[in-house]
Amino acid sequence: MTIPRALLGLAGLTAAGYGVVRLLALGLTNLGATVEWLVAGVVLHDAVFAPLVIGAGLLTARWAPARLRAPATVALVVLVPVTLVGLPELGRFGADPRNATLLDRHYWMGWLALVTLVVVMVAAGAVWGSVRGRHGRRRSRWHA
Amino acid sequence: MTLLDQRPRVRVPDEHDFTSWLRSPAVTARVGLWLGVAFGIAFVTGVISHWGQTPHPWLPFPSSPSWGYRVTQGLHVASGSAAVPLLLVKLWTVFPKLLARPPRALGDLLVHGLERVSIAVLVASAIFQLATGLANVAQWYPWHFHFRATHYAVAWVAVGALLVHVMVKLPLIRAALGSDLDSRAHDRRGAADGPGVLTRRALLRTTWAAAGVAVLTTAGASVPWLRRISVLGVRSGHGPGGVPVNHTAAERAVVAAATSAAYRVVVAYGGREASYSLADLRAMPQTTASLPIACVEGWSAGATWTGVRLRDLLALVGAPADSDVLVRSLQRAGGERYSYVAPNLASHPQTLLALRLHGESLSLDHGFPCRLIAPDRPGVLQTKWVGRLEVSS
Repeated sequence: MTIPRALLGLAGLTAAGYGVVRLLALGLTNLGATVEWLVAGVVLHDAVFAPLVIGAGLLTARWAPARLRAPATVALVVLVPVTLVGLPELGRFGADPRNATLLDRHYWMGWLALVTLVVVMVAAGAVWGSVRGRHGRRRSRWHA
Repeated sequence: MTLLDQRPRVRVPDEHDFTSWLRSPAVTARVGLWLGVAFGIAFVTGVISHWGQTPHPWLPFPSSPSWGYRVTQGLHVASGSAAVPLLLVKLWTVFPKLLARPPRALGDLLVHGLERVSIAVLVASAIFQLATGLANVAQWYPWHFHFRATHYAVAWVAVGALLVHVMVKLPLIRAALGSDLDSRAHDRRGAADGPGVLTRRALLRTTWAAAGVAVLTTAGASVPWLRRISVLGVRSGHGPGGVPVNHTAAERAVVAAATSAAYRVVVAYGGREASYSLADLRAMPQTTASLPIACVEGWSAGATWTGVRLRDLLALVGAPADSDVLVRSLQRAGGERYSYVAPNLASHPQTLLALRLHGESLSLDHGFPCRLIAPDRPGVLQTKWVGRLEVSS
């Protein structure tokens, strides 16, 4: 192992150790609640989200018409993460009726507009790609 | 796309059942590089924010540029938002590794186990940081830990685990980044030898697009010209005087005290106290300053404030301009009910007890009768409904 690599590892262990010390200093109750969320995050990803994505992939591969697979994948790779980012706004979980300036948009309307825009753009891209493909200049943009 | 082997008996799939050509170190390293950049920006700006919120730091938090905190905290939330698609795609490309069978030999097993632990810590802390950060932006607190202190501690764990991960993978990262995106040199055994549904380039472009969309749809909370397109922005910039409000007077139960005719702001220094009514404050020399209000939750807005310089008030009780000032609000609850003003800010000509916003009397929700406003300062420290200044030199 080279010296820079060893230093990288040492810096990493030091930083993580410092984080653990800070976590412990917040007390056991705080630590318990934190560990709960740390574990829940991994379990939600590895045991729920990832299998759902793999299932969606299998369904797409088996059932979706060949020319729809790539556009559908692109649309989902954009829209699913963005929807997760927007969940606190879409659910308005932190809204307080006494504060009208917080969460002050029509989030579901905005989300629908975003979905429409992404679907239209991806569809336009797919049509453009297949038109170009048919004229024999280049293959579809997904397979370029 | 993934195609699991079709076997008659049901079994847990292993690493080699995943055949997609996209799940390659060539893709993982490229997405991982940008994920590392996003986490790096979030970490550095997070440390800056922690520094800005620490009372009496050993190195004073700078007072210029006045928009500094607005930029760093806006970047903090934007890089966290961008990291969500990057993290999900990166984890997708390495998911088969989760199902890899452990080696038989004891020595290999130990190394394998250690690497698994380091990756579990990395993934857990990364998801934790993004989930808690994004919920905090929308003032949603569905947990029982102290958000700020815990988010800061776990940030160190995440960045530490990230550095260890880079150390372990460095030879593979360098090899993968150094070779062509379509190279099969580092692919897992069993991976397909050509594109399926998407090319690797198409997946990368889609991932960058997803990161861009995540930023554009949320960043309007701090970038005014993005407000119209930030459909998931937590604030659209509306509010009394054209500035949003983090916590209202009603939420903080200060309406009666703030509107009382008996309201006075007390300045205490060296055993001596002086108190000033709103009329007294209005009669003092007024200063106007354009200073952003930049919340720790990432939203921000530019504003023009008018009021009394803090150092003028200090002079009235005979305190030096470069004093330490503890600013107390009329509010009894909330982490923002008091703040410390360091000497470099107390003496700053733009540090005000503001009475007016955009030329109009301060609204109750912005801190009427007066609020603290100072350059380059986290919004949580811009104390509203100021009731008392405790000065020590």
